[in-house]
Parts: sequence; C-alpha cells; structure tokens
Amino acid sequence: MIPVKEILLPETVDEVCRLLQDTNGLSKIIAGGTDIIPGFHIESPRFVNIERLIDINNIDELKSVSVTEDYISIGSAISFSEIISNPVINEKLPLLVKASRTIGSTQIRNRATLGGNFINNAPCADSVAPLLVYDAEIKIKSIAAEKIMKLQDFLVKPYRTRLMSDEIVTQIIVPNPPAKLIGDFYKLGRRRAVSISRISLAILLDVNNGFINEMRIASGAVTPIGTRFYDVEEFFKGRILDDELIKDIAIKLGERIMEVSGVRWSSEYKIPVVQQVCYQLIKGIERRSL
Amino acid sequence: MKISFVLNSQNMSIEIEPNIRLLDLLRDKFNLTGTKEGCSIGECGACTVIMNGKAVNSCLVLAGQCYGAEIITIEGIEKDGKLHPLQENFLKSGAVQCGFCSPGMIMSAYALLLKNPNPTEEEIKDAIAGNLCRCTGYKQIIDAVEKTAKEI
Repeated sequence: MIPVKEILLPETVDEVCRLLQDTNGLSKIIAGGTDIIPGFHIESPRFVNIERLIDINNIDELKSVSVTEDYISIGSAISFSEIISNPVINEKLPLLVKASRTIGSTQIRNRATLGGNFINNAPCADSVAPLLVYDAEIKIKSIAAEKIMKLQDFLVKPYRTRLMSDEIVTQIIVPNPPAKLIGDFYKLGRRRAVSISRISLAILLDVNNGFINEMRIASGAVTPIGTRFYDVEEFFKGRILDDELIKDIAIKLGERIMEVSGVRWSSEYKIPVVQQVCYQLIKGIERRSL
Repeated sequence: MKISFVLNSQNMSIEIEPNIRLLDLLRDKFNLTGTKEGCSIGECGACTVIMNGKAVNSCLVLAGQCYGAEIITIEGIEKDGKLHPLQENFLKSGAVQCGFCSPGMIMSAYALLLKNPNPTEEEIKDAIAGNLCRCTGYKQIIDAVEKTAKEI
C-alpha cells in the first residue's frame, strides 16, 4: 500500500526548499523512485510515514552537467542513462560510467539517479565507490543555508546520511582528476544484470617510473557503506609497484575490510575474492600505465 | 490530483489518486491490460512501457509523476489494425510461449530500435537484460529483434 496523499511538482530548487520547510517530516523528495516505490511495496519501515512526495524531475538545474578548469559539477537528479551517454563524464570520470553501466537494467538506469543512489545509501549502491575515489563533494541546500560536504562525511551508516529533513542535495562536485591517475572499477554480483552487488572496488593509481605516486581505493557492498581506505593508500605510497607489492596491497586491503565489516558467515568466501579483485584491478591498471 | 499526458498518441486528462502507479493507471483506469504486473519491484520487466522515448518499469513510476509525459504501451504500437513488425516477428520466431513477458520484452526492444535501428546482439541482450522470460529462453527473442531490425 502506497501511503502517499499528495505529489508536488516544483520547478525550482527554492520551491523545493520551501516545500520541505513547512512539514513535520512527512515529506520526502522523489526523483527516480526506484528505491522508494519498491520500498512502499514491501512496506519498508523507512517509507511507511510518507504522505507528501516532492518530485524533482522537472528541475533542469538538477539534471545539468557543467565543467570548469577545477571541477565537474553534476546535478543530483541526473539518471544513470544520462551519465552513461554524457561525453564529459565519460572523459573525466570513466569509473563512474563503468559503475553506472552495471546498475540494474536499462529500465532502472533510465529512472534511477546519482543523488538517489547515495542518499538512499544502501551498502550495495554501485556509484558510491567511484565517487569516493574521485574525492566527490556534494552541495546541500535548505531555506537557511547552502553547504558543501565531502561525500565520505555525508554517509553515516547503511541507509543513514547527514541529510536533514529540510535539505536537498543539489549537486555532486568532483575535482578534475589529474590525468596521470588511471583506474578501474569492478562489481561482483550473482548474475550479470539486475544484480545486487556483493563486492565492488574502485581503484585509481598514478605510477611514476615504477613508483606509486598516488593510490586511491574504495569499496562498496563488502563494507557496511562505501568506504575509502586512506591508511592502505598512504602505507604503500612511494613504493615500487611490482607483483609482490600488488599482492601485499591486496592482502592488506582484505585485512582492513575484515576489520571494518567484522567476521560474517560469508567472510571465508568474500575476503579472498576481494583480494583477488584488488590484485586483478591493479594488475590491469599497471599494464595500462606502462 | 489531475494529470494530463499523452497516451498512445492521444491527449488524456484524468483525475487520479496520488498513490497509484503508472501500471495501475494503465490497467485499471484505461483498461490497457497488455502491460503486465510481475514482480512489482522493478526486477522482471513485465510492466515495461515507453515514457518520453525510454523504457521504464511502470511499477516504479507513480501516475502523478507522469504529468506532461508521453507514454507508449504495447497497445500503441500497432498501426491501422496491423501488428508492429516486432510483434509479427515474435510470433514468427517462436519468441512467445505463455506470453506474459512478451509485452514488456517487445517494449524494451521497441525502445532500443527507437535510438539504435541496427543493434548488435550484445546491444539487444543489454536492452532486454531487465526482462525475464521463463518459457522460451532468450534465443528466439533475440532472433525476433534482429529480424525486425533488418526489416525496418
């Protein structure tokens, strides 16, 4: 049973902020609806009290992509299909495009949005690990204020973020990645399409004369929420990237993921697999760096 | 709430409850029962329709979100009482058995051919990856789409 009594169709972000202002937490923003509407269907406790939906699909500002010398700014209500077909995002953020292609199906990608993916903050949200290695920040607006926050800080725990009930995420702001950083993304699910991620990893690497100049690693699904591993990145900085070191990175990452996630029934399977995924990803990046 | 939209090339205006889905609007208000309800959570694709030129799961769109949209359902693709070539080729290729997935499958293929008239086999597989068929398997369905692409 869908509890909604009213759907509002604002045309500006200011209007959204005003609508969010005068309620008692019974309003929720809807964009693609691919999490909210099945949530209603299964009577998820997260969605039982929603009486007003504020549909943001008619707001152009939230669908636009712009580039400056320093950053790429992406509207939060951009769909994954729009990400996949956007030439600027393809050029600057290839890992985000690769992850977007693995999401759901064509029908889902035509509706589901980038903002919705991390605002819902399911552990398996496929776009989060790429956004984290790209050091993404988000712009949040309310009637009272506008602020910018690191995505990593915005994500609290599964299905929880720092978003307040009177706020809307308007933009995802990604600093232009240095051209020397090349990377890859891998998602492991139980099947090839319409698949919930079990493990995903995003890695960016800058190798200079065989030395690791910079490395960025983020996980999805295998950790409770998308997580950057700054300590692992720092630990291997400046080291010579050879086969032994890649194995060491993979082992260390597996150990850290185990610490973050705790021992689970699936750990015996997942940890060796995540280590193998890490090894293969870095091997592939190493080949492309030569 | 009142919504106006285009349904199978006809302008429509209708008073609806805000808590119904596009799927319910099509089946219950317009009697367009070609669009099927399968899983209701966006995994099976039986309810696929075209919204503004793109395939969507009508179980994951609220009717109130369709304001001003252009919707095409399986009933809207025949012309002058003649089946669409996709429908013809599904029949000819043995791509229909129980028929429950066929409307959604055909709408996904229809959306693909709208933007890509000459798809590769991989592109066809990708376009129908969100549509489950439990009878014929997928080979005949892919054949039917390939055949249609060659004809039109």
